Amino acid sequence: MIKHIQSILRNSWLELAARWILGLTFIYASYNKVLAPADFAKIIYGYDLFPAPAINLIAIVLPFLELAVALALICGIYPRSAVIIVNVLLVTFIGLVSINLIRGHEFNCGCFALENSGNQASSLSTVLRDIFYLALGIQVFLYHQPRRWCIWQTV
Amino acid sequence: MQTLKEISIITGISVIVAFGFNYFSPNGIALVGQWDTSRGVVTALKKNDVVMDELEIGDISYAKALYDTGNVLFVDARSEEAYHDGHIKRAVSLPVGQYDEQIDTFLELYDLDRPMITYCSGRTCEDSLQLARLLMERGYMNVSVMIDGFPGWEAEGYPID
Repeated sequence: MIKHIQSILRNSWLELAARWILGLTFIYASYNKVLAPADFAKIIYGYDLFPAPAINLIAIVLPFLELAVALALICGIYPRSAVIIVNVLLVTFIGLVSINLIRGHEFNCGCFALENSGNQASSLSTVLRDIFYLALGIQVFLYHQPRRWCIWQTV
Repeated sequence: MQTLKEISIITGISVIVAFGFNYFSPNGIALVGQWDTSRGVVTALKKNDVVMDELEIGDISYAKALYDTGNVLFVDARSEEAYHDGHIKRAVSLPVGQYDEQIDTFLELYDLDRPMITYCSGRTCEDSLQLARLLMERGYMNVSVMIDGFPGWEAEGYPID
């Protein structure tokens, strides 16, 4: 069993695939937020967990942080540091969505543009999806050999 | 230590690019939004928004008084589905998501000087504000927003269909 886990953690192709899956996912996730920060700010407001002065700042910065770590993972620039940020973000997302699931908080602003952005079924699938991504992120983090197809890595 | 330095570089570049992009983007938002429902509709505030407070009708009985004149057109900014489930009596539907497809017909039906009030689902919903902006850009001169929306109207027991 331990050998099996070790072989997973040492698999360089799996590490590459995990980095690319995470990278492409984060590019996709950041795309709409970059284009429509006002809608994203409304979604952050809907979580009902952030102080009002922080909402717009998060909406401005987070999409670009996601984009930067995504590009870093795909190009292999500081991959280990990038995946640490990714894992911190994923743990935060999982925490926030879980808190709202547990306390039964649903945000429905009745907004045409943001329909179905905060219901319980989608929250649960979001948590499960993020746990899957976190597993990939942990593999990339724990991988200690030279990585494939990297521009700039520190081992 | 090296990791901390790398994390700082990635984060620093992201922050600089983010604020730079927000500054130049036409979709950029203000650094602080309006997130207090007691002050009106909650919104991120576009960085170059005209002040919309003057358009907002926060007192629903005032909206009802305007309704009773029979001269003011109520425009429902919500989806067609929401409109069919229930809307202010005699209100017309112009979902903000289908604005482009429906505005030509709307322009043919209603003169530019017709007073109108847009509404959606209350103070957490911006669609009525957005619709009001779009209508004003098209030349409608007398547009207001009933910020408590359909739920507020319904709660007062005012006429619905």
